[in-house]
Amino acid sequence: MSNSHEQSFWSKYIFSLDHKVIGKQFLWLGIFFLLFGGFQAMLIRWSLSNNMEPLPWWLLGDFLYQSSPVGAGIIGPDAYNQLFTMHGTIMIFWAITPILIGAFGNFCIPLQIGAPDMVFPKLNMISFWTMFLASVVLLFSYLLPEGTAAGGWTSYPPLSTPVGGIPGQGQTMWTLALTLAGTSTLMGAINYITTIVRLRAPGMDYFKMPLTTWGLFLTSILNALFVPIIAAGLIILLLDNIAGTQFLVAGSKATIPGGDPLLYQHVFWIFGHPEVYILILPAWGIVSDLLSVFARKPAFGYKVTAICMCTITALSGVVWGHHMYTTGMSPLLGKTFMFLTLLISIPSSIFFLNWLGTLWKGALKFDVPMLFAMSVMWVFGLGGLTGLYNATITSDIYLHDTYFVVGHFHYTMAASVLFGGFAAIYFWFPKMFGRDLDPTMGKIHFWGSFIPLNLVFFNMMVMGYAGHHRRIFDPSEFEFLKPVLGLNDFMTTSAFILGAVQVLFAFNFVWSLVKGKLAEKNPWGAATLEWTVDHPIPHGNFSATPQVVNGPHEYSHPSLKDKDWLAQSEPLPS
Amino acid sequence: MKNILCNFIQKFRQKTITLLPGIWFLDPPKDVSLDGYRIDNVIQYTDLVITIYFSIVVLLMLYFILKYRHRPGHKAVYEKGESKKHIGFTVCMGMLVFLSIDVVIEGMSFRDLKEAFWNFPKGDNVVKVEVMPQQFAWNFRYTGTDGEFGTEDDLIPAQNQMHIPVNTPVVIQIAPLDVIHSFFIPNFRVKVDATPGMVNTMWFQATETGEFEIACAELCGNSHYRMKGILTVESQEDYNNWLNTLEEEGPEDEWEDDDDEGVPSRWGWAWKESE
Repeated sequence: MSNSHEQSFWSKYIFSLDHKVIGKQFLWLGIFFLLFGGFQAMLIRWSLSNNMEPLPWWLLGDFLYQSSPVGAGIIGPDAYNQLFTMHGTIMIFWAITPILIGAFGNFCIPLQIGAPDMVFPKLNMISFWTMFLASVVLLFSYLLPEGTAAGGWTSYPPLSTPVGGIPGQGQTMWTLALTLAGTSTLMGAINYITTIVRLRAPGMDYFKMPLTTWGLFLTSILNALFVPIIAAGLIILLLDNIAGTQFLVAGSKATIPGGDPLLYQHVFWIFGHPEVYILILPAWGIVSDLLSVFARKPAFGYKVTAICMCTITALSGVVWGHHMYTTGMSPLLGKTFMFLTLLISIPSSIFFLNWLGTLWKGALKFDVPMLFAMSVMWVFGLGGLTGLYNATITSDIYLHDTYFVVGHFHYTMAASVLFGGFAAIYFWFPKMFGRDLDPTMGKIHFWGSFIPLNLVFFNMMVMGYAGHHRRIFDPSEFEFLKPVLGLNDFMTTSAFILGAVQVLFAFNFVWSLVKGKLAEKNPWGAATLEWTVDHPIPHGNFSATPQVVNGPHEYSHPSLKDKDWLAQSEPLPS
Repeated sequence: MKNILCNFIQKFRQKTITLLPGIWFLDPPKDVSLDGYRIDNVIQYTDLVITIYFSIVVLLMLYFILKYRHRPGHKAVYEKGESKKHIGFTVCMGMLVFLSIDVVIEGMSFRDLKEAFWNFPKGDNVVKVEVMPQQFAWNFRYTGTDGEFGTEDDLIPAQNQMHIPVNTPVVIQIAPLDVIHSFFIPNFRVKVDATPGMVNTMWFQATETGEFEIACAELCGNSHYRMKGILTVESQEDYNNWLNTLEEEGPEDEWEDDDDEGVPSRWGWAWKESE
């Protein structure tokens, strides 16, 4: 089974076919863009509370925006629009997607199902290098004289077409980069689905798979179904930008009749709403598994959790209209979308209760991955519940396009998914790199992230409830926003602390790679298959194909004596 | 049944609202509209219930952290939670959450849409206004004496100036010149998108006089942040005087051919009767 062999540097580290190396490549790419997108968030916060003031040195004020039309080192409205556009795009498609799906999808799926590698290793490699190409295109868009895209991460036409009045080709580059990133995601999704369907080890039934793999499996199905739809939308947007077509332009600016801006919104959200679940399903799976490992107890209602995740996956494809309640949607359609959206709260509540059930009567160990996993319960609880306001047509009429929505989706997409990703990084780092991440720095990172993050994101919802609308360069333009301005300064301070602590994480990551404590084979006492292989994991993973006999969470079984866990391939001692 | 439930909640809320200052510690702008309270009601009911559920979750987590923390002599219980009892409990709790929040706010929301937001006022006293946002200003249009839009006696006030009489229903129809905008009056809790190629409709009614801000809620370009209109709510008398002044001044633009740069003076459209 093992096919370890001599490889050159290039085929081992650069154009590698090994899913573990490709996973690490995605992880590096994701962490780079996480810091890059995070830095843009800092610039956004600076501009919001210190409007039209030059950037300080610690935000690289001596280098950035030197040729800004409003003064050297000052963020003007154009630059501000570019910042929030690219912050959203990068965080969603270049940070969270590569880390959770690219890195942990690649690393975990074959190891957890007992496979030697992905079923299509070459496609896997091409997937990463397509993503790399997409990143290059995206980064080059910053070098354009008029700057990069500025139409928001949703890039609604006609603003994102030539009639929208945004100068330059930033939007074209953005569209191209996103199309390439989508292609990469699609290749990954096909690979993951096929691998899970075809390469499970003997005995690894679907209902013996770890929930991490379940989450990644469902995510890949959503990706395979819905990424082609956004690709179609992006291609017609690209044609409108470079070929003079007007698919998405209408009204008096249209020279060709028949275009429809709403078409793009439908296409975007048919993909865009599942995208939320694409990002969060792996995080849910990871959290479900980690709670079980660190509570030393089987995941409560494992099958029910898996079925709930499937139900949510199915429902996620039919609720996109709740992003469009204010577009003049027909009443029947609006009510239908509202009902379908609210249905999601049933499976969500059930698997949230299962998380609580996992903790119940456990023996909770508060290692860093557990801290992050439990914090996901907090942030996802808040994020999920506040979704109710946006699912309801009447309250959404008021809250739509305000900071309430921004706060809500930062709780669900940014906080839940990011903390799930951090939990995963702290958990699997020893298996990926053979060394432990420093736990002291990890705990500082956790508390330094958890508290300021809540201070920023919760206050976003407070501001939105006070009426603060989104994407506003200077909120002091409006009288009704005067009471909110003080809060803005407070949030900016919190955000800077949050940002500074992520630098500590990056330092910990690099430092532990070189100087970290050498890791044991199974430091957490986890039962899933990836912990049964020795470090370094050879190309081909398992020396002999594992025979799976147990479920993924066999902890504290009463007949176990000297240890409290049972690997999935290890029969129960008689 | 649903109405009884809604009424009960409304009464319950009116009693508790003084006790519950709200989990969002800043107040929204003062509500000066006839139906804005309906939106505040839905929001406040949701506030109340999600505060209860989230508190239960957090208290349980804290209790579990203290009681079940890993320590010498404490062992986890091998409990898979897949018995009928456990599954039944979680499913029932899921349904309870659904019935206590989702079904209720859905009932409130559907009732409010039927009674207010989608129940367009009819009759002669209704004030009709056509709105055409552009990058980055609001254009308004009133019918003039003939009661028809798109005719020569249409009244066009200065940009960003909208006047309405108090205690009178106002119906707007909105379509933009260039890109998508969104007509948002925080004090009235209402918002409607303006999408090129289609005319959207919305109605509202003021209960107090004063000046209120109209914001653009949909990103529309680099000066989106200062696309601001002023909505002046005044007595019927003042409103009539204002209309008369407009009539005397005459339209700012003459009936010229549409030019590419400015706003075409013929932008008004025939009023679309709501179904």
